[in-house]
Amino acid sequence: MRGWPRLRRLARMVWAFARLDATEDFSYPMALLFYLLGAILPAFVYFFVAELFESEGRAASSAVGDYYTFLVIGLAIAALLQSAMTGFGGRLQYAQDRGTFETLLVEPVPWTLIPLLMNVWRLLLGVLTASLLLAVGGLLGADYRLSGLATFAGVVLLGVLASSAVGIISASLLVLAKRSAPVLSLYGLAASLFAGTLFPIDLIPAWLRWISFLVPHTYVIALGRRWFMAAPPQDSVAPDLAVTSLLLFVLVALGLGVPLFSRALQYSRRTGLLSGY
Amino acid sequence: MESTDLNRSTNRVWNGGLVTTPGTNHDGPAILTGTLPRWGVSADGRAADDETIVAIRGLGKVYEPTPRWMRLLVRTMIYQPVVALQDVDVDVPAGGICAVVGPNGAGKTSMFRILVGLTTPSAGTALVAGFDAHRESPRVRRLVGWMPAEDRSLFLRLNCFDNLHFHGRLHGIEQRSLRPRISQALDQVGLGGHEKVSAFGLSAGMRARLQLARALLTRPRLLILDEPTASVDPVGAHELLGLITSIVREHRMAALISSHRLEEIEALRSHVVLLDRGRVRFQGDLDELRARYDRPRIEFEFSSSSAADLAGVLLTEVGRLTRPTTRVVACDPRPGVTVGTLVTRLGATLTADLVRVAEVPLPLRDVLAKIYLSTPSAAGALQ
Repeated sequence: MRGWPRLRRLARMVWAFARLDATEDFSYPMALLFYLLGAILPAFVYFFVAELFESEGRAASSAVGDYYTFLVIGLAIAALLQSAMTGFGGRLQYAQDRGTFETLLVEPVPWTLIPLLMNVWRLLLGVLTASLLLAVGGLLGADYRLSGLATFAGVVLLGVLASSAVGIISASLLVLAKRSAPVLSLYGLAASLFAGTLFPIDLIPAWLRWISFLVPHTYVIALGRRWFMAAPPQDSVAPDLAVTSLLLFVLVALGLGVPLFSRALQYSRRTGLLSGY
Repeated sequence: MESTDLNRSTNRVWNGGLVTTPGTNHDGPAILTGTLPRWGVSADGRAADDETIVAIRGLGKVYEPTPRWMRLLVRTMIYQPVVALQDVDVDVPAGGICAVVGPNGAGKTSMFRILVGLTTPSAGTALVAGFDAHRESPRVRRLVGWMPAEDRSLFLRLNCFDNLHFHGRLHGIEQRSLRPRISQALDQVGLGGHEKVSAFGLSAGMRARLQLARALLTRPRLLILDEPTASVDPVGAHELLGLITSIVREHRMAALISSHRLEEIEALRSHVVLLDRGRVRFQGDLDELRARYDRPRIEFEFSSSSAADLAGVLLTEVGRLTRPTTRVVACDPRPGVTVGTLVTRLGATLTADLVRVAEVPLPLRDVLAKIYLSTPSAAGALQ
């Protein structure tokens, strides 16, 4: 029971930050609408790509099974993880540029919680985007199996934590360098290339494939397909190895990211860089 | 730690408004005598009671040159060490207002940022209600209502209610009591009925009021207001300062206020800290300041311009002269020169031509300029 007031306080902070960011986003309704439309557009684009792919008769000979379902699941998970990865940095950059970052720092909120709190709304938007992608995909013919939902949710949570940790490391750079979006964009591009979002990682040359195993997206997408597709493709990543790797990634990246962010803030406090942008 | 820091100040001598520390480099010789009372602090330097809200001791801040490796990240560089604060002592009791005055770069904002935890001190301590602003920053942030100089600190896309709601929730105010408190805070600053108005749609003056409402919402022990009236019209500024004064006194808060508007500093009738290049050049009330530095100008009006011309010749050696009109001679007397000395020099003939003799007090601006323009080593010249 001793932890109950703390939990309530944390919930209150999470709600306050989510409400703040949501209110700001809803104050630009057209931008929000087009953001969501843009997010689900790939479900349509890749519908035709898959049609072409399957009309060529390549699906049977490939390892992907139902290519459209394969694509939609990959895209939905990648969209969610991308939100987890870029959400905090994006909000931080916005707050730095707008001049509200210091307003947040003088609130009685532990600074180590700031990355979590500033990521909540973007993460919820990511969940919404991924759900919309899956829903639209389903309407267009993607064939899902919903039996492994609980296990899948656990893996997604690990993936979100791992991606958020990468985002926190990037945000540490943002606090010091004031710009880190290009670094994260590069990482995001590499993730989408090497994680097997659009194609199985087996197609990547063996001498490059090791990079895939350094990207958390790879494991979440592979496990997502395994538990979410009616006819899952042949495993390129063993489930046990995937979960262990994800756990390891989360521990290492969070263990690195949170102290790094804290130290970046402390350094900026000392040098007077905090108010710059 | 706290008592050690407070004890450190027993070595300090307060000679009127000028701070001197035996054995240390300071702002030149102590040119004034007498003792300036210090709020809430007894003669031995310890906190006299638990009412001292702000206790700053030997506070220093040096911004070090940016290391070379940082050039890879960002090209906002500091090439030389910048001394923002040096050996600053300030006390503010509950119910007290302290006006921090100084030219740009004097160190006002650095001092405020240390108190709210946005900057770390290089030396000394800053205590808020007994908590160290550096080491116990989260606790201090609960006690401080901060109004930064820029209205960019507001969430401009949010309405007035939501701006305060976010702040109140993070301070742990329960939902049911938050709503009436927001209404009360907005009413207090004259923004009642503007709950649903977006901060973006407010005028600069109204944004300042909203920032003040946010600072007041949590009923803090310490209000830190960085140029609160910078964007407010004179009448609004007067009202706002009146409001701040009454709230601070009524709720026994402490307030640190910086301002460039000297008429406001005069209107506040508060304790004044003059900062100059990071050092405290004077600390006390304005009457004390005027008594020390304000040497009134003496104006002599004569019945003819020829008499004024002759007076100009006779008074040249005893003061700096100006001629506002052809029949008037204004004299800024040298140190030690009294009105009697001046009249004696004029002699009986010219005294007979005198129409009017008047003492004109220097505007506060000129008094401060005198202090700031004097180099520390030349401080004695102020006399």
